[in-house]
Amino acid sequence: MSAVTTPPPEHRLLGFSLSRLNQRRLANFRRNRRGYWSTWIFSVLFLCSLPAEFIANDRPLLVHYEGQFYSPVLFTYPETTFGGDFETEAEYRDPFVRELIEDKGWIVWPPIPYRYDTVNYDLKQPAPSPPDASNWLGTDDQARDVTARLLYGYRISLLFGLLLTAFSTAIGMAAGAVQGYFGGWTDLLFQRFIEIWQGLPILYLLIILASVVEPNFWWFLGLLLMFRWMGLVGVVRAEFLRARNLDFVKAARALGQSDARIMWRHVLPNAMVSALTFMPFVLTGSVGVLTSLDFLGFGLPPGSPSLGELLNQGKRNLQAPWLGFSAFFTLAVMLSLLVFIGEAVRDAFDPRKTFASSGDEA
Amino acid sequence: MSLLQIENLGVRFHAEDGGIDAVHSASLEIGKGETVALVGESGSGKSVTALSVLQLLPYPRASHPRGSVRFGGEELLGAKADRMRALRGGRISMIFQEPMTSLNPLHSIEKQISETLILHRGLDKAQARTRTVELLRQVGLPNVEERLDAWPHQLSGGQRQRVMIAMALANEPDLLIADEPTTALDVTVQAQILQLLKDLQQQLGMAILLITHDLGIVRHMADRVYVMKDGNIVEHNAVRALFSDPQHDYTKLLINAEPSGNPPAIDQRAPLVIETRDLKVHFPILRGLLRRTVGHVKAVDGISLEVRAGQTLGVVGESGSGKSTLGQALLRLLPSDGPIKFEERDVQGWKERDLRPLRRQIQIVFQDPFSSLSPRMSAFQIIEEGLRVHGIGATHAERRQRVADSLHEVGLDASSMDRFPHEFSGGQRQRIAIARAMILEPRFVVLDEPTSALDKTVQAQIIELLLSLQRKHELAYLFISHDLKVVRAMASEVIVMKDGLVVERGPTERLFDAPQKDYTRALLSAALEGKALDWEE
Repeated sequence: MSAVTTPPPEHRLLGFSLSRLNQRRLANFRRNRRGYWSTWIFSVLFLCSLPAEFIANDRPLLVHYEGQFYSPVLFTYPETTFGGDFETEAEYRDPFVRELIEDKGWIVWPPIPYRYDTVNYDLKQPAPSPPDASNWLGTDDQARDVTARLLYGYRISLLFGLLLTAFSTAIGMAAGAVQGYFGGWTDLLFQRFIEIWQGLPILYLLIILASVVEPNFWWFLGLLLMFRWMGLVGVVRAEFLRARNLDFVKAARALGQSDARIMWRHVLPNAMVSALTFMPFVLTGSVGVLTSLDFLGFGLPPGSPSLGELLNQGKRNLQAPWLGFSAFFTLAVMLSLLVFIGEAVRDAFDPRKTFASSGDEA
Repeated sequence: MSLLQIENLGVRFHAEDGGIDAVHSASLEIGKGETVALVGESGSGKSVTALSVLQLLPYPRASHPRGSVRFGGEELLGAKADRMRALRGGRISMIFQEPMTSLNPLHSIEKQISETLILHRGLDKAQARTRTVELLRQVGLPNVEERLDAWPHQLSGGQRQRVMIAMALANEPDLLIADEPTTALDVTVQAQILQLLKDLQQQLGMAILLITHDLGIVRHMADRVYVMKDGNIVEHNAVRALFSDPQHDYTKLLINAEPSGNPPAIDQRAPLVIETRDLKVHFPILRGLLRRTVGHVKAVDGISLEVRAGQTLGVVGESGSGKSTLGQALLRLLPSDGPIKFEERDVQGWKERDLRPLRRQIQIVFQDPFSSLSPRMSAFQIIEEGLRVHGIGATHAERRQRVADSLHEVGLDASSMDRFPHEFSGGQRQRIAIARAMILEPRFVVLDEPTSALDKTVQAQIIELLLSLQRKHELAYLFISHDLKVVRAMASEVIVMKDGLVVERGPTERLFDAPQKDYTRALLSAALEGKALDWEE
């Protein structure tokens, strides 16, 4: 028996120390070049879309007026501040207000001077207008800037997808864990319940909901959550069913450890691998669901920036191909990136790949 | 001229971070009709050497930087795939350790065997069937005609291994490579299979390369022995000379590594720690749509026992005898019927919450140190867990100190406590598992085959450790094992179990010297002398 006393060199990622297994997983993830670069591109796009208000907005980022600085993106100022007539908020896109300010100062606009719901009144032709210098991807049928709508739509799709994925994964794992760990009648009843629950027609429920309340982002999230947590249950359940008979779980029971702690500390880490592998694909599914509901018109309230709604406009306005193309390419790029990332995650957790590079002993 | 000649063989596995030399330099020779044993502990490279004869290693990840393997004068390293296919299962056959996984579960017995006949011999179906029946008779499978359509899962482990042997013999090979052919089998079956191999060898005149870690088998089977360690052959000699006059230190260590120890003397006045009367564990057999109970598997069927402080009760039995079930039922890890008295209190039927304070005093050590430690927790976290459950050690520093002490007690370096299980060897892992149990200062420990998964040399160390812990802390052990040699070293009293019932019980020495029942006798002679005895139920 010889014990090596020197601690292994520590590897860190974002401040977390990585076990050797995770280092190898990270290496496998990197080895999938397509997935690795997709992750970077996706992260940059997502991070850029988060401060969408600062990139595409109809309020200036900064106003210098009579020696003072104003930041209309963050604060609301009445028109009277800038010498106007009304007590209401200043309409910065109004040529009159703009003139007032520029007489005694200057304005810094965001790169895209439109919000998702800004109607561009000085179009040279009826909406939808084709791409030009001021509306890079043209306008939609209500004269709103497509670029701005895409940016906001991309953000809302992703945030919705991420939230739905996070919550549905958490619920699904908890349900699967309880079923698998306790087995027996718990498992049996739960499974039958899920089978019935899965049979409910979600589209009709959404239509009914739309007639009762005005569905907003959170209503949607809640309702879709109710029906989309089942995906992971089977995988996690199987993992717990297997793990509850492992010796180290028995040993923990013999120590007197409570069921909840055993599930959390001993079994869950083993189930995490399969759950993490599924997650990117759950995310693409969630984004897809929201888009399709928006496309059908049962989605977010009218006027919200949404990729599905833009697609629907593209369908209705075939003479304006920039609508359909913009929405299509945004979706295609986003979903492809997610699928590529998913493939890389799958590679990272693939035990054959993880252990293939270590020589096994006889 | 020798049949198989391996010269200066090296095997290397490539990996990202360099590579591993599994075999540095192995040379061995097998003559016609000879039995040669290749002995070594896990990781010594013996299986890899054997697999390179048949070129069955995962090429190109594995490679042979040097050496040659000649079979009947023909070089096999780098031989064409076609040529190797003709040799495999033709002139060279192999049987593997695990009969469970080496038969295809989706093929009937007949198909498994006739496949190789049709492939190598070009027999038609009827001829193949006739030959299959003949072969199965030869390997001593009972009721052969009925069994032809049986599936592997319908056969016992020993029967499956017989089928494996029949498959290997189908084409009358010149060389049979047997890689731990009996390790996965019960002792009585082990002896039968070894006898069978010996008989068949005499009938067919084939050579056998026997790969094993068990010197007992070597002594009974082999003509010559090669001892392998860390990828090198350290010694070779005729079997008798090797055992009587081992040259290399490692060989001496192996030969002397027979488990030995002085079990505590029987003391009827020692306080009773655990006691059970007529304990039953029945698993219902559920059938049909409504899952009605149609019968019970009587895993433990009315067992009474008592263990006193500082004493060890050995429980011996073959797989399926219910000995592990008994241990887990005593710990209330499995539902059971019958009183379980722990220090005078009957804990049967207690709620888990009420049981928790007692859990500290009743611990268990499992057989397989690879599955009994959570792979995602460090040694410190694993050992510390019990302390946290029972609220021992208020601060992190105090718990760390306790863990360090307990690691020291089981003979491990305390500085290694932050490493993860896969960074330890099998013996070290078992020490961690023991530390996890011992840190709670239990009164009663169930040892469920704690040495079976370990190499012989490590086994002896673990037994020594367990005995010294027992002396130090007045522990009561229930020692479950199928290995009679280990039980003799550990236990003061022994229960022999079969099919959930006690066959025989008594003080260890009396039971080993003068067994009363045929089954006990068969078990003893198989385990200690490697001879198969018949016994009546």
